[in-house]
Amino acid sequence: MAPPAASQRYPSPSQPSGKSEVSDLKSQLRQLAGSRAPGVDDSKRELYKKVISYMTIGIDVSSVFGEMVMCSATSDIVLKKMCYLYVGNYAKGNPDLSLLTINFLQRDCKDEDPMIRGLALRSLCSLRVPNLVEYLVGPLESGLKDNNSYVRTIAVTGVLKLYHISPSPCIDADFPATLKSLMLHDSDAQVVSNCLSALQEIWSLEANHSEEACREKESLLSKPVIYYFLNRIKEFNEWAQCLILELAVKYVPSDSNDIFDIMNLLEDRLQHANGAVVLATVKVFLQLTLSMTDVHQQVYERIKSPLLTLVSSGSPEQSYAILSHLHLLVVRAPFIFASDYKHFYCQYNEPSYVKKLKLEMLTAVANESNTYEIVTELCEYAANVDIAIARESIRAVGKIALQQYDVNAIVDRLLQFLEMEKDYVTAETLVLVKDLLRKYPQWSHDCISVVGGISSKNIQEPKAKAALIWMLGEYAQDMSDAPYVLENLIENWEEEHSAEVRLHLLTAAMKCFFKRPPETQKALGTALAAGIADFHQDVHDRALFYYRVLQYDVHVAERVVSPPKQAVSVFADTQSSEIKDRIFDEFNSLSVIYQKPSYMFTDKEHRGPFEFSDELGNISITPEASSDIVPAQQYEANDKDLLLGIDQKDDNKGLSNNNGSAYTAPSFESSSNITSQLQELAISGPATSAITPQSSFGFDDLLGLGLSAAPAPTPSPPLLKLNPRAALDPGAFQQKWRQLPISLTQECSLNPQGIAALTVPQSLIRHMQSHSIHCIASGGQSPNFKFFFFAQKEPEPLNYLTECVINSSSAKAQIKVKADEQSTSQAFATVFETALSKYGMP
Amino acid sequence: MLQCIFLLSDSGEVMLEKQLTGHRVDRSICAWFWDQSISQDDSFKSLPVIASPTHYLFQIVRDGITFLACSQVEMPPLMAIEFLCRVADVLSDYLGGLNEDLVKDNFIIVYELLDEMIDNGFPLTTEPSILREMIAPPNLVSKMLSVVTGNASNVSDTLPSGAGSCVPWRPTDPKYSSNEVYVDLVEEMDAIVNRDGELVKCEIYGEVQMNSQLSGFPDLTLSFANPSILEDMRFHPCVRFRPWESHQVLSFVPPDGEFNLMSYRVKKLKNTPVYVKPQITSDSGTCRISVLVGVRSDPGKTIESITLSFQLPHCVSSADLSSNHGTVTILSNKTCTWTIGRIPKDKTPSLSGTLALETGLERLHVFPTFKLGFKIMGIALSGLRIEKLDLQSIPPRLYKGFRAQTRAGEFDVRL
Repeated sequence: MAPPAASQRYPSPSQPSGKSEVSDLKSQLRQLAGSRAPGVDDSKRELYKKVISYMTIGIDVSSVFGEMVMCSATSDIVLKKMCYLYVGNYAKGNPDLSLLTINFLQRDCKDEDPMIRGLALRSLCSLRVPNLVEYLVGPLESGLKDNNSYVRTIAVTGVLKLYHISPSPCIDADFPATLKSLMLHDSDAQVVSNCLSALQEIWSLEANHSEEACREKESLLSKPVIYYFLNRIKEFNEWAQCLILELAVKYVPSDSNDIFDIMNLLEDRLQHANGAVVLATVKVFLQLTLSMTDVHQQVYERIKSPLLTLVSSGSPEQSYAILSHLHLLVVRAPFIFASDYKHFYCQYNEPSYVKKLKLEMLTAVANESNTYEIVTELCEYAANVDIAIARESIRAVGKIALQQYDVNAIVDRLLQFLEMEKDYVTAETLVLVKDLLRKYPQWSHDCISVVGGISSKNIQEPKAKAALIWMLGEYAQDMSDAPYVLENLIENWEEEHSAEVRLHLLTAAMKCFFKRPPETQKALGTALAAGIADFHQDVHDRALFYYRVLQYDVHVAERVVSPPKQAVSVFADTQSSEIKDRIFDEFNSLSVIYQKPSYMFTDKEHRGPFEFSDELGNISITPEASSDIVPAQQYEANDKDLLLGIDQKDDNKGLSNNNGSAYTAPSFESSSNITSQLQELAISGPATSAITPQSSFGFDDLLGLGLSAAPAPTPSPPLLKLNPRAALDPGAFQQKWRQLPISLTQECSLNPQGIAALTVPQSLIRHMQSHSIHCIASGGQSPNFKFFFFAQKEPEPLNYLTECVINSSSAKAQIKVKADEQSTSQAFATVFETALSKYGMP
Repeated sequence: MLQCIFLLSDSGEVMLEKQLTGHRVDRSICAWFWDQSISQDDSFKSLPVIASPTHYLFQIVRDGITFLACSQVEMPPLMAIEFLCRVADVLSDYLGGLNEDLVKDNFIIVYELLDEMIDNGFPLTTEPSILREMIAPPNLVSKMLSVVTGNASNVSDTLPSGAGSCVPWRPTDPKYSSNEVYVDLVEEMDAIVNRDGELVKCEIYGEVQMNSQLSGFPDLTLSFANPSILEDMRFHPCVRFRPWESHQVLSFVPPDGEFNLMSYRVKKLKNTPVYVKPQITSDSGTCRISVLVGVRSDPGKTIESITLSFQLPHCVSSADLSSNHGTVTILSNKTCTWTIGRIPKDKTPSLSGTLALETGLERLHVFPTFKLGFKIMGIALSGLRIEKLDLQSIPPRLYKGFRAQTRAGEFDVRL
């Protein structure tokens, strides 16, 4: 029964193993099919079990489909269930054979046992074969009227399934209206909640092109409907309660009485055993009171206790989800957990992802009154066995130090860390001491005396090394051996792998030179020579810049590199408050866990072409090198949307640079201590020059795919005439793609020759171009390819934009069409499909 | 909305796959997931929410089995995690535990259960008593029955009537010849003791567990002698909120069988029943350790099953430990467990010995955290006491039972 181990992990449709077993099963099933002998059900059951266990481990048993259906005439409910399961799994691939199953499923839908009626209806709707839709409507209609609630529950979900297979029969049969009346009148809570979820989905999809659906969707949020649900919320099961609470969040209360009514109705939900219900309720409370500041504060007080209980009582996974939300809350209202900080003390056995969030919480709740206890607790973790957590806790101490006014004791603690003589503790602490000194230069004396005692040989981590070098340069006059330590480091230039460290060495050598010229001159010379010869662009550029400035005038150089500086008062936050607000609006969603608003990661429309870089990885739109800058660039790309065209990019350069440096400010400053305008230029100068050629190269590459090939003669123009020389620049494409709604989604298949030819994706691009459909971007690796095409209608210049995802293993293509003119998008899709189907044909 | 649920064994093999919507999720996602979780360090491995290139993955791990759910749309993460936790609970309840073999042997039942628990990606019912009515657990009795009667169906003939009643957690009209109801107070003490022996944090997490075998439609009232000590409560859906709100009385119609009526916390306890006094001194490559354990404040009942376990730091190359009471075991992963049992009257249990550090190390920089375990039967350390349990209409032959116990939860003693 157990197939070879290898096949279990990587199953493919054409599994070689298990072949003989499957054909064995096939013949055995065939023998049983007609048999009416007693006990035949038991042997069938054994065989079915085998088939399903093969299916479960990933062996393709679709070849016994016919036999399975033939054996399905039985009254045994377990047999039926297994058969339904099997049929549901393979029907989509065998639309013709599925017709065979319709018969017995329809018969079962009329069985006298409600359980069988329900199961059969569920299976019938799960076949998901588009051309069998006509057989669904009848059973669904009677299912919705069934006197057993179990059957009605299933029928309601069935309507939604039908809608997803094919919307028009569902709308034609007037199912939404039936569901609506069920939702408002059925006595069974599960039926009602299923109606709600089905209608929400159907109406929001229909709303795009039907005003009536739009109105219906709005009506779900009307006061009577909301109160209808909220008044009887206790009758629903916990999951349906979540659904209703989600609906209530969207409700706009008419006045403050309305708000208090709802809160009163829902208050006991905060005590529910299911964390999902509690969190959904919290969301309702927070959103309702957004405009009422004082009540909002009371809400924080009210929800505090239930949330803390959830953290400490659930499984670690639940704690993780809750803590992510608490972190969001505490950032908005730091006072709420200030006295409950002990809840965030880490227990030894907790998984590190929970500990990490707890450390973040401890950092966030620290204030004047509890800092001492929290820092004491954090210091305990620094000596912990778990190195990752030890590092995090040192960082947390540093963060608290940076946000507090009274840092006396904290600095002492940090300096004690340095005496622990553990390399990772030392490394983390050095980075922190550097940041502290930038904010509190008055501490330099104490810190430098301790830091001076650390041998640079014991520090391996680039960040720590960079921090130490920065301090050597900055406080060269206080550290007697600074020039010699630097000299030593410069001599080992070749062995220094991190560009960040080399950049810092250059700057530190300069600073040291201005303070103690005779001792440093030689080292500086060596450093500049090595820097100019460096293969890393930024290091090279900075060395050259220093060299030229020194050549020009040493005093100017000093003003540029080492001006008197002001202490940093506030470190720039990595997340703008606007983004934080957006995340807050999406409370109780994945956004909170990722700490990004959902449009940055779920919205396919927005991700659009960007998916290439993160999903398929073949073509990158953001430059990959120059590690310092990439995060900021990506951030910006994420934020503002992607695939800037070359022209647009050029236009935006000034702007985007400003933005970029605003985002990167903290990392830049920490790494290179920029204070003067000039030096900022010096650094961002080479940085951008490093990017621009690369990124435009990336775009060239992208465009090259689309535009270089010569247009081939158009074949006989079908229904729609397309402009063979259409042009659209990537920026415009991107803008349109964002603006236009999807007018059509379609799946079509490719012929085998086409799949074979797809080993060179460019061939498809050329092929489509010969049909006047142009590629603007493409990417992917076997088996998944993704293309963005555009075409222009002739004579009037209307654009059609298409996203085409091809899976070569299933030989299927998913196309999404967006058009300036919705009415012709179907015609265009036909042209597109025809063109695609000819791909690979000689 | 969840699109697919996978059950993976501890070697990454897909044991079960349940597609929930029309958008099939390819199995290759599991291979991706598994590759990621082996290649990454431990912290990634158990991160409950992960973004894969194509889907958002939710995972929980129970007894070596990974429950993996995939979604492509935004949804409340806690809902997915809660649901997976329920699936795990229900399965382990049905199969009498959770392991690879049990799941593989009973995959049909697992499919049946998932079928009733979630439809089209939205959770339906996860209430064990309702599910048990729809799908009979594969217990010994039903196996015997099937052998005797030849009817091997594990599906009950009736539909869950509770699904239609206004008390969704209770089947209609169960019948018992003797009516029994048991209330257990089960408390766990979580505490952190710092190196100076101070109690940094000490609180109790407690549950009121019930086992109700009552005929008909019983209406129960449970009251406590001192409900004011309770800090924050979470209730089973059956508990009526208003009576609790107005006079701290639990009024409810219980589900059938075992269930968790409420959970609560009691914060800021001042004392622990047991003390642990560890000491470590290290010098020139060796390290002396001694630990004393004793009763701090006598709870009035015997403290049982006392254990103390700790992880020796990585830099310890060998350890020689002995105790004057109980047994000491050191596993190959440097986990050291001292099983004390009960504390004897005549002496204070102590553990002592030497740890040899790796060559080159003079002193110990990383200190272990001691985890204390104990159990006390017959008392709830929070001080919570049940006053009475009333039934609205008293059935014949009623038996009511009350018990209490406290055990150590996360009890850390730091050094």
